[in-house]
Amino acid sequence: MTVTITHEDIADLCTGSVFLATGGGGDPYISQILVQEALKKYGPVDLLPLGDLPDDALVVTIGEVGAPSVSLEQLPIGTECLDVIDRFEEWVGRKITHIVSFEVGGANSVIPLIAAAAKKIPLIDGDGMARALPEAQMMTFAIEGVRPSPALAVDYTGGCVYFDTADAVLYERQVRNLAMAMGGMVFTAEHPMTSEEARRAIIPGTISFALALGRVLKENFGSAALVEKPLRKLFDASDYGVLKHLYTGKIVDINRKTVGGFDVGEAVLESVGDDRPPMHLSIKNEFLVAKVGGEVVASVPDLITMVDHETSSPINSERVHYGQRVTVFGIGCPPHYRTERALKVVEPRAFGFDFDFVPIEKL
Amino acid sequence: MWHCRKLPGSLKNEDRHWGSSVDRRGSETVRIGIDVGGTHTDAVVLEEQSVIASTKVLTSANVRDGVVNALDEILAQSSVDHTAIEAVMIGTTQFTNAVIERRELAPTAIVRIALPSGELVPPMIDWPDDIAEVLGRHTYMIHGGRTYDGFPIAPLSEKEIDAVISDLIAKNIRLVAISGVFSPSDPSQEQAVAARIQEKIPDVRITLSHSIGRMGLLERENAALLNASLLPLADKVVSSFAGALSDRKIKCPFYVSQNDGTLMSAEFASEFPALTFASGPTNSLRGASLLTRLNDAVVVDIGGTTSDIGVLQDGFPRQSNIAIEVGGVRTNFRMPDIQAIGLGGGSLVLDEGRTIGPQSVGYRLVTEGLVFGGETLTTTDITVASGAVNIGDATRLSGLANSVVETAVATIHSIIDSGIDQMKSSRDPVPVILVGGGAVLVSRSLDTASELYRPEHSGVANAIGAANAQVGSETERIVSFRRVPRDQVLEEITDQLKAELEHAGAISDTIKIADIEEAAVSYMADESTRIRVKMVGDLSFERRGTS
Repeated sequence: MTVTITHEDIADLCTGSVFLATGGGGDPYISQILVQEALKKYGPVDLLPLGDLPDDALVVTIGEVGAPSVSLEQLPIGTECLDVIDRFEEWVGRKITHIVSFEVGGANSVIPLIAAAAKKIPLIDGDGMARALPEAQMMTFAIEGVRPSPALAVDYTGGCVYFDTADAVLYERQVRNLAMAMGGMVFTAEHPMTSEEARRAIIPGTISFALALGRVLKENFGSAALVEKPLRKLFDASDYGVLKHLYTGKIVDINRKTVGGFDVGEAVLESVGDDRPPMHLSIKNEFLVAKVGGEVVASVPDLITMVDHETSSPINSERVHYGQRVTVFGIGCPPHYRTERALKVVEPRAFGFDFDFVPIEKL
Repeated sequence: MWHCRKLPGSLKNEDRHWGSSVDRRGSETVRIGIDVGGTHTDAVVLEEQSVIASTKVLTSANVRDGVVNALDEILAQSSVDHTAIEAVMIGTTQFTNAVIERRELAPTAIVRIALPSGELVPPMIDWPDDIAEVLGRHTYMIHGGRTYDGFPIAPLSEKEIDAVISDLIAKNIRLVAISGVFSPSDPSQEQAVAARIQEKIPDVRITLSHSIGRMGLLERENAALLNASLLPLADKVVSSFAGALSDRKIKCPFYVSQNDGTLMSAEFASEFPALTFASGPTNSLRGASLLTRLNDAVVVDIGGTTSDIGVLQDGFPRQSNIAIEVGGVRTNFRMPDIQAIGLGGGSLVLDEGRTIGPQSVGYRLVTEGLVFGGETLTTTDITVASGAVNIGDATRLSGLANSVVETAVATIHSIIDSGIDQMKSSRDPVPVILVGGGAVLVSRSLDTASELYRPEHSGVANAIGAANAQVGSETERIVSFRRVPRDQVLEEITDQLKAELEHAGAISDTIKIADIEEAAVSYMADESTRIRVKMVGDLSFERRGTS
């Protein structure tokens, strides 16, 4: 089914994408404004179902890489995502036939819509994470063996850096350091894919899912206890498969520090209404591991999402503070992340935890 | 002299008395605190820390008459010698109300120094149309600004600046806000553009964004715009205050209180009226602190319909972390973190006492409450029935079952407990200060409270807070401690703030750091840190000779 996105859908899409960002992804406010203006100007965008991708496509993924908190001060120009497309086509000498988002979690869920609207390049309904994750090699594109380059990054001056790098981990280091040198944020076009690669590597349906999720959260605005049922229905019918209520409690401790360019830390929740032992949530930009009484109840690559208990608004990890009443949900990740190859880069051990991944439905 | 009322039952009583006994024949100096609200103008006379007079009168349309009336009341009550008044402190909601009601806002231009960044996110893009049209959407964007680490985004272009100036002249605009990317870290470009405009348009009035807001370009720019548009009203209000004081032959300096519990001089308030936004709740919290001498506590201001819960940290309100809208415009003003809960003296009691509020009879309590001869069961009736307070006609409550009273009292306390629990900053019980007309609702201990305080004069806590505000100054930067050691960064910042405070009238040796907040900038591996420092000091009062 083709889903059409209008400027009036963007707020809901952003809410859904913050939910799927599992605490990471940053504040999408500026991107939300840009996309709303672009869709007002150029008209709505039809999302192309992955199944409708023709055989001779050149699919390229576009988005922003860097520190979201810096971009609230130094705003994007607003045309970077068009610029990366022009420059990519000029460099490789081919037209991009389709674009796709890196990650549905956070601002990158909506940025490709600007390019899709302005350039009339079809946008595939899907992405490379089905959530937010911190590094390029964790995208399903890289996991499925897609080469990161040819890739390029446009900075705030309109200047451009071209990458010819075979390895996703090295590419991640290169582009991360470029972002730090160039005002904290760059826009990239990367991981070009053939139709065959795209069908294998893209997680389908995630953009329209984020929109549907945002609508459920808006229509059921109110206590997390009440929104749980409609949410479970939505997730049960999707590739995510399962949504579990993990905990309802109050934040009694939160500590964060920056290590190696990441926000790492731990949040502690105490139960409200029963005498369950406290929940410990480990954070590395995103919520990665949830334990109750020392037992793991959910871990990466499955999704751990925190919402305000009274309004069910998803809470970004940088906004967690003492005293908030929150509900934590655990959500299964799509099958793309359950393969042995995928788990090697996204399992708890890949983030330095000393235990094996157990799917949430078995916990 | 004041003291705190003894609370019933097991409550710990704040029985400390302070302040010298009233003796106005001597050379004691006094301060006057005035709170000009939308409905009421409150005023107090303070001698040292003692309230020696207080009043509540109606706010007048021209502000001045209401202030004059309040002054007449308190001067008559206290019979202070005018020469003994060392300072007058005024808190006001006039500017907040002007923004909310879209009145008395003047046409104002915004010049943003940021291109090429932000080209498609122009100023005022997310403003509600009604207020944007009042200001006129005179938006300009020019090249310039800096990156988070201080590198120039683009050089300033004189040609661009002059084109803006020609347009301002053509449109006859005399109020201008200027914003620049990372200007809180480096304000030089905002200052350069301002100087150029001032040179070509001598009667222009300018608000620079770095002087009014913190990181977050859109929010800071909005704050600067609102401020500039309020400048003509600020002249009017500040001169009303000055006029009222001179009408009553009060010649001491006067100050206006800011949203963070500190004072600004009258001249400064004329330049930064937007800094008064939310000063009301702040003064109420500060007043509660002064009435109890507590620096760290939770303050519950119980009104007729809602209760506002705020947190005192080191004698100042804990500030909110989220973007705050003023009249639908996103800003990042320093605002107290206030949690409003739907419980007040007029809240309806339903379901045998198990449900209370959020519906309330509000100001109609005095006609609709049972003890006042009405037909509605309210929290005030419950409190009277429980014997905790004696208001109205208690005999009208004879039909009320004890079990309902007991359940309702428990519900009231559990609602307040839960509100306090969400606001307090650790899991341990904290001192709790109850103020406002509904403070009587709390008649028992609270699980969240280590001690409960219910000071006298809490009805004019705002004016008391205003009278005792300090001067403060704050700055925020993104820095890399790997490049410049933290000690050096702090020294630079504190030197700058100390100079600002001395300029604002603070006594040098009372100046201290009130708050340092550090937050890592995510994804930045060079230990980039957002650091915010606030310093405060006591105001020096020049003792005037008696005449």
